[in-house]
Amino acid sequence: MSQPTGKLIGVKRKHSDENQVEAKKPAMEEAKRANFSALVSTNGMTKASPTVVKPAAGNVKKIVIKSMKELPKLPDNYQDVAWQKLEEAVVAIQNSTSIKSALEDLYQAVQNLCSHSFAPLVYSKLKNLTESHVQSNLAQFLAESIDPCVFLKMMNDCWQSHCQQMILIRGIFLYLDRKYVLQNPGIMSLWDMGLDTFKVHIISDPLVQTRTVDGLLLLIDKERQGDTVERSLLKSLLRMLSDLGIYHEAFETKFLSSTERVYSTEGQRLMQEREVPEYLAHVDKRLHEENERLLHYLDHSTKRALISTVEKQLIGEHLVQILQKGLDALVEENRISDLKLMFSLLSRVKNGPQELNLNFCTYVKKRGRTIVIDPEKDKTMVQELLDFKEKLDNIVVTCFGRNEKFVNSLKESFENFVNQRLNKPAELIAKFVDSKLRAGNKESTEEEMERLLDKIMVLFRFIHGKDVFEAFYKKDLAKRLLVGKSASVDAEKSMLSKLKQECGGGFTSKLEGMFKDMELSKDINVAFKQYIVHLNQPDLTNMDLTVNILTMGYWPTYVPNEVTLPAQMVNFQETFKKFYLGKHSGRKLQWQPSLGLCVVKAEFAQAAKELQVSLFQTLVLLLFNSADEMPFEEIKAATNIEDAELRRTLQSLACGKARVLRKVPAGKDILDGDKFVYCKDFTNKLYRIRINQIQLKETTEEQQATEERVFQDRQYQIDAAIVRIMKMRKTLTHNLLITELYNQLNFPVKPADLKKRIESLIDRDYMERDKDNPNQYNYVA
Amino acid sequence: MADDIDMEKPVEKSTVSNDCVVKSEKMFSLKRWNAVAMWSWDVECEICAICRVQVMDACLRCQAENRNDKEQEECVVIWGECNHSFHNCCMKLWVKQNNRCPLCQQEWSVQRIGK
Repeated sequence: MSQPTGKLIGVKRKHSDENQVEAKKPAMEEAKRANFSALVSTNGMTKASPTVVKPAAGNVKKIVIKSMKELPKLPDNYQDVAWQKLEEAVVAIQNSTSIKSALEDLYQAVQNLCSHSFAPLVYSKLKNLTESHVQSNLAQFLAESIDPCVFLKMMNDCWQSHCQQMILIRGIFLYLDRKYVLQNPGIMSLWDMGLDTFKVHIISDPLVQTRTVDGLLLLIDKERQGDTVERSLLKSLLRMLSDLGIYHEAFETKFLSSTERVYSTEGQRLMQEREVPEYLAHVDKRLHEENERLLHYLDHSTKRALISTVEKQLIGEHLVQILQKGLDALVEENRISDLKLMFSLLSRVKNGPQELNLNFCTYVKKRGRTIVIDPEKDKTMVQELLDFKEKLDNIVVTCFGRNEKFVNSLKESFENFVNQRLNKPAELIAKFVDSKLRAGNKESTEEEMERLLDKIMVLFRFIHGKDVFEAFYKKDLAKRLLVGKSASVDAEKSMLSKLKQECGGGFTSKLEGMFKDMELSKDINVAFKQYIVHLNQPDLTNMDLTVNILTMGYWPTYVPNEVTLPAQMVNFQETFKKFYLGKHSGRKLQWQPSLGLCVVKAEFAQAAKELQVSLFQTLVLLLFNSADEMPFEEIKAATNIEDAELRRTLQSLACGKARVLRKVPAGKDILDGDKFVYCKDFTNKLYRIRINQIQLKETTEEQQATEERVFQDRQYQIDAAIVRIMKMRKTLTHNLLITELYNQLNFPVKPADLKKRIESLIDRDYMERDKDNPNQYNYVA
Repeated sequence: MADDIDMEKPVEKSTVSNDCVVKSEKMFSLKRWNAVAMWSWDVECEICAICRVQVMDACLRCQAENRNDKEQEECVVIWGECNHSFHNCCMKLWVKQNNRCPLCQQEWSVQRIGK
């Protein structure tokens, strides 16, 4: 915008102080709003009240006021003379030449003419003068083939000088503006008259208007293509249009439709050409640019329409494509900043967040399924799930603004895919926990462990078959407790309390019972030690016996494996049994040889060693006290260990790392007819040697067995739950019973299965159908 | 097998020291044994006929009332002279109404209470 000359400012300033004080009210009441936007400083006034001329200072004489004898008269030709002077001045202003008369004189002349009721005349003459001048400017805009840029500059120059002229003229005719215009509501202020004249005679010309608007659009288009354009020119001309009151009708509509066109083609083209992240960055840039445009030259009223047009064309129209083409890869590659941008951009358009959420869910389900479904990846499944969850949580928090819908749908998606493979995830999570809780796992500190367990609990929450988890967890926990391999009691207890919190006391009561059994066993063993001292049987003190007494039902079921024990050991067992049953009446004990562990002292030729072995290994080793060589069949007969178990035991002793026995003939597998010789010359760096049992690889059959057990238990649990509920409620309708059951059972069941159980209980006379209402059950006491 | 343990017996005079007990020509000798045994109530029927819950578990009432661990531990088994067994809690309530065994209708008299 060009600056008014210093002279202009001077004229204006001279009056502005007074105007502001006196003319506030009329100016505010004035409906017509003048726009001095073309100027740097405005006082916001159109019609101003007459200025009071300040009295000359310094006169201290007493003033005597006499009545006038005769009204002062103007000379007859004053009107013509004065107007001529004024006309000259106006023409001078219009032609940018110097004004001959003093401005003070001109102002005075206007005041005089007005006071003598020539105001209408002066006004109309001035108007004519302005009109003719403005009209004379039109011709230059109608010339053929003008470069749009040149045209715009011409237009701007014309507009700027018109404004300047009008301000100058108004300065001279200020008295007219304030006195005459203000008192006659139908008459436009000089400024408005100037604008109106410009509008009527220049801009309303169809050719000029088209050229102006098209030129503007062309410039904006150029800028959008990356050229630098004269923003001040754009701003000035757009302000002109708004000042003339034709911004909306003449410009905005065309501008918006051209914007729509531009971005519609651009969107379609770039969607094809570019990768989604690049595209999004581009859209962001575009939006930024358009906002700049609004800031620099467009009228603010355009903001909403413009931005929404851009959003619609660049984002809304391509929503599906953006998500389908880009989302998966972005999440996969964890591109946080790009996802953030995607979320913020999509949030701008209708349905954006919903679509994003939907696609996000689809991705999570699809990707999660690949983690869960492939048996080859079972080993890493849980870790992958944990990592996956952490990554997605992070994305939801940092990129999607912790939006509740996303948080929820993430949970739902997890629950959905984790349960797509029955039971296996539950089993693997249990095993994963075991691997972390087992001794020797020193990789994590207490806090890290706590955090890890918390994360695992999150996964656990998604699992429908929580009893499958329990079954496998229990199996591993039993191993940890019996072998004394648990890494930390605190971690175990912490895990247990988490499970309790999640599933209630019923879920963990048996697991807690296992810990309690271990505690009680300690006390029993202390008491037993004292007991055998008093027995005074030397046979019982040369060996250290500890017994873990487990409550049947709390622990996993183990296959009872009757074996032949040496007399000494039998004696021990019987002594203990007598002691125990003496303390606890009404109980019976069942020994579990497969869980027994021993320390055996071995006198090898080189040095004595202590071997840490299983009970089965012990039984085999003890045989070699009386024989140097034994065939497989003989060992089997002497120990009565189950065939496959014995083969594994022998393998561990004769084919493992520390070979206490030698197999003849050598070989990896134990075959019928193999002979075993003990190694007199066995050597090892260590004094205490642990001979690992060969872990029976959990065969699919075994896993199936565990699972089957879980399913059988489910039947009992359903039965028990039904009976429990019916016993408490006495009578219940079918639907209420089903609802209660679903509240109590922590595994998935089909309603049809529940129905079967109910039928079975009715058959077994635990409950009956109500005689009057077949939909109601009664408890049979 | 039994023989070699017998062989050990005569040598073993002292009751305290372990090391001197072991005969030098003996290759393997057992030093420590960590045995495992399961206990359960010595009952004929594993399910309490009154509450229809396994006797190894706490009775229905104890479960439903969600008592704390200490009290649940008290939920032991009781045997009548007829050798039928029930939860002690269940039987206590039962005899108030009917002093007969719910299974065989014999006069109820306590044979023993588990502990």
